[in-house]
Amino acid sequence: MISEFAAKSVAAVYGLAWVVTLAYIAILNAKLGRLERQLDEIAGILERRAGDV
Amino acid sequence: MIGSRRPRPDGATVAALVAAVLMTAALAMIFFYVPTDVSEGYSQRIFYFHVPIALTTYTLFVWGAVNAARYLLRRDESLDLKSYVPMHLGVIFGSLTLVTGSIWANIAWGTWWFWGDTQLTTFLIIFLFYCAYFMLRFSVEPGERRATYSAVYALLGVGLIPLSVIGVRFAQSNDLIHPITFNSNGANMDHSMFLTFLVALAAMLSLAVTMYLVELRGKRIDERVRRIRRLVEEGV
Repeated sequence: MISEFAAKSVAAVYGLAWVVTLAYIAILNAKLGRLERQLDEIAGILERRAGDV
Repeated sequence: MIGSRRPRPDGATVAALVAAVLMTAALAMIFFYVPTDVSEGYSQRIFYFHVPIALTTYTLFVWGAVNAARYLLRRDESLDLKSYVPMHLGVIFGSLTLVTGSIWANIAWGTWWFWGDTQLTTFLIIFLFYCAYFMLRFSVEPGERRATYSAVYALLGVGLIPLSVIGVRFAQSNDLIHPITFNSNGANMDHSMFLTFLVALAAMLSLAVTMYLVELRGKRIDERVRRIRRLVEEGV
């Protein structure tokens, strides 16, 4: 018979590992979003410059 | 013909696939294969994640220190980044080690933390030491000086790791409640438990390698975008 406390503790440890991994992916995704915005800004500058020529 | 060949999978993709396979195998073994420990019961299954996470933390700090030493020898800027990324990941894995260890301690010993235990205290010292690495790194302007300070600090910290791993063996039983699973006689567990532990360790290490390669790639792209932006703004 598995004690409820033991099962909850095991679930907490394994769940926490998944939460940390998912949080890491979310942070990476936010970073990719920032890079995308920066690339858009650079593209905008180059387009404006091309229009001036 | 240009573009007709499919690009080869990069290191991070391969590492992610290996990590996914190993993690699935590890979880299947932990919950469906390995027997329940006679003395500790079901909660002993925490061991198969907690110990691999702790060993991965040490590995990341050592890898960061190796790259720090390589930076000091070669002064190659990319090695500074290769030293910083494992330190960053090591702190993430270190936090997870402390939290998973506390959950296990609460069920096994009836307390979240025990200050008298050598293993716990030395791990906490290493963890806090590497947390301070970021304070040092981000208090200095980017450049050679920052990379040098960071590399020296990373190297100093790695000396604490043998103290944590071996030091606990010297501790007498009166100040030690942390179990010693591995000693000079090998692993103190049966064959199936040891096999499950090895698969879980390989899974955790491959997850760390994936995270390392992805973060390194992200930082390199970030650096390139900054450089391009600077050039564009300067009108080159």
